[in-house]
Amino acid sequence: METQTTQGLARVKEICQDRPRRAMELRDQGKKVMGYLCIYPVVEIMTALDLVPYRIFGDMRETVTKADKYLPSVVCPFLRSLLDLGLKGKYDFLDGVTFAHTCDVGAQFAGNWKINIRTPFSHFVDIPHTTHEGARDYHKGLLMDYKKAMESYFGITISSERLKKAIEMHNQQRSLVRDLYDLKKPDPPLISGAETLQVLVAIMSLPVEEGNTLLMAVIEEVKDRKDGPVKKSSRLLVWGSIIDDPALLEMIESFDANVVMDDTCVGSRAFFTDVALTEDPLDGLADHYLVDIKCPRTYQESAHGEMKIDYMADLRNRFDYLGDYVRDYKVDGVILQALRYCDAHGYEVPGIKDYLESLGLQSIYIEHNYTEAAFGPLRTRVQGFLEIID
Amino acid sequence: MSTEEKKRSINRLKSMYPLRALMDKNYKAAQDAKKEGKPVAWCMQESYASPFLNAIDLDSVYPENYGTLCAATGAATPFLERSEAEGFPSHLCGYAQNCLGYTAQMADLDWEIPPGSPQGGIPKPVILVGSGMGCDARFKWFQALGRYMDVPLWVIEFPTAFGKENLMEGAHERSIQFLIKELKGFAAFLEKLTGRKMDWAKLREDVDNTMSMDAVWWEINELRVARPGPMHSRDFWSSMSASLFRTTDPEGVTELYRSMLEEVKHRVKNKISAINVEEKYRMTFIGLPPWHALKFFDQLAERGWNFVTEWAYHPPRPIDLTGIEDPVERLVRYRHQGTGHLIDVSFSPEEAAKIKKEMGQQDSMSQLVLKPILDFKIDGGFLHPLLTCRTATASLNLLGESMIKKFHVPFISIEGDIVDTRLFDPVDALRKAEAFEETMDHYKEIRKEAGLEW
Repeated sequence: METQTTQGLARVKEICQDRPRRAMELRDQGKKVMGYLCIYPVVEIMTALDLVPYRIFGDMRETVTKADKYLPSVVCPFLRSLLDLGLKGKYDFLDGVTFAHTCDVGAQFAGNWKINIRTPFSHFVDIPHTTHEGARDYHKGLLMDYKKAMESYFGITISSERLKKAIEMHNQQRSLVRDLYDLKKPDPPLISGAETLQVLVAIMSLPVEEGNTLLMAVIEEVKDRKDGPVKKSSRLLVWGSIIDDPALLEMIESFDANVVMDDTCVGSRAFFTDVALTEDPLDGLADHYLVDIKCPRTYQESAHGEMKIDYMADLRNRFDYLGDYVRDYKVDGVILQALRYCDAHGYEVPGIKDYLESLGLQSIYIEHNYTEAAFGPLRTRVQGFLEIID
Repeated sequence: MSTEEKKRSINRLKSMYPLRALMDKNYKAAQDAKKEGKPVAWCMQESYASPFLNAIDLDSVYPENYGTLCAATGAATPFLERSEAEGFPSHLCGYAQNCLGYTAQMADLDWEIPPGSPQGGIPKPVILVGSGMGCDARFKWFQALGRYMDVPLWVIEFPTAFGKENLMEGAHERSIQFLIKELKGFAAFLEKLTGRKMDWAKLREDVDNTMSMDAVWWEINELRVARPGPMHSRDFWSSMSASLFRTTDPEGVTELYRSMLEEVKHRVKNKISAINVEEKYRMTFIGLPPWHALKFFDQLAERGWNFVTEWAYHPPRPIDLTGIEDPVERLVRYRHQGTGHLIDVSFSPEEAAKIKKEMGQQDSMSQLVLKPILDFKIDGGFLHPLLTCRTATASLNLLGESMIKKFHVPFISIEGDIVDTRLFDPVDALRKAEAFEETMDHYKEIRKEAGLEW
């Protein structure tokens, strides 16, 4: 039985305080829980198998004590934290876990998890680095393998209709998240950046229908709320690598600024385009997960096989969606943030700054090591940046 | 033998020197090509690119290798500083930072070589060939060069599922067909870019010559299981470039490797060691070496540490491709050998079936990966975590722990870098190494108690 007693944002808080609780309740009722790393594993396949898709996160408030043995300190601090939690048994409730080639360290992390955590089922989905037709076809084949492995392990065959239905449900979730983000367009926004993040963390812990119900309740509540964020001098966009804890956004919003938009993987990145409903549903899924998701782990090119690179045209091709966010959400400054040792995001920094400059926007780049302590020195830098753009 | 030679702790192979010198010739060739108006390409090693570039008469230049050269000659620091000044984070790949700084300087100079660049520098390319193989940097770095150069970038894919997923029915073959299609697309692009036709016969010849060359290089490395170890990792690192960073003359390089094969055979037959003191510890180097501090290994050799093998930069295993005529397919099937095949050729049929069955149920640290520990009878692993290379660092500890667990072989972990000289402390490293000898002695006893051979 579900122990839910709260609704809307209160329910979001409750879930975030103890994320595994609901998943474990569902498990007690006979559901299987499938953990997944990053936004590349196809949640629609999990839903079509009636599994609970459960995104696995680290915990920046917990000191890494066990993962040092397997992951050196000079690799992604988020993945180190995640492995640490796994080694401490905090993900023992998972029936399976799906990895993808999100980045090179992410791929090696998958091996590390498989060997040391031993979740009953695991699968690694390779992802091409390019997005042209051949890569899409190849990606579709990889998803076919994933589907086959899941069907074989869980003993259920996924019909095309069932997969299409799952796509529709997740598209509805994407649409609801966009509706939620619409509430960030007014000045002041009706929901803060930190609150938005918590809503998304919560829905990434729930079956899709339950997440959609929660989103609808949150949207209704936020529309009518009187205790939302206050008007501030700056409207910011936060770009970069994973943020799964509200502390960084709370720190930024403790100054004279509202975070009105983001481009991160627990934020808008997974939700701002729908999966096309194609005759063979794997076609739409293969395209969406390879092409539509704009993570720097993928090599995006203006046109396959260009003879000459026009730098600004290339930047526009890669980052114009950010220009749309800037316009739609009336952004007046951008914070580029990355976890230390995140190479995929690191290479983008000068280019993205050039792009933003071409729009007349100021930006700042900050790095942190996935601990709250790291935010101390960053406070001064963020404050200084806000003074510049004010 | 001169007094100076007698003092050396590592007994260097004479046949290594001409192989090492080849890289200098390659830089000179690229500069000459540029002077003659011939275009050059910048590409990543092991990216499949070079045989295609050779077949369309484009010279290959390897900025990764140039990074090692800049590091070894102490020239990297200003390039690293320039990269950081351009806004690239300082934890990015050292080779990439070196190249980004170098290119930014070259752009300032209207594409003249920055003064003082080692080996005369590398000229501006007409194409960048990135790779999905190995690490994200190998295409992200080239994409970032678009800030300075308007040259096109082609990224050659490299499927990376090597665990149980690669054993699924049809999975590996699908990746082979994908790569073949990718490379044919690359060839078509090169034709369009250069306005020339691919010389497919030349490609076939080049692929076959490369396979022959690598086969000799493979055989040399197989001989290194001998006790005492006949060839030190320093000689390996000095000689590998000839195979990794392709030349236009694989036949000539093959001859040099054949000469090395004879020298190593002679050493094995006569029990001549790669170090000039008693071989006390047979070591494996895990990671990428500190190119700027290779002399450190001479100090370890003085203490009886013989680095008999290493985990990076080895050629693909020779494979019988009889009946496959298409040069592109030959190249792909040679370079991209499936997990199942590699297990089959590395173990007895019974062992192979067991390993594959276990992998299918749950991935484990591959016995394939750990096999050299057993084959080479390793006493200790030297892990080298790098501040600027996640790829070569992320799995080091896992490997080390697996060595202890499976074979009671301990490891030492010494932090450093491939390019940045500031990140390696040889004095501290030597102190740790001395203390590690007791650990290795202890584990020798444990292995004996466990009934292991060494």
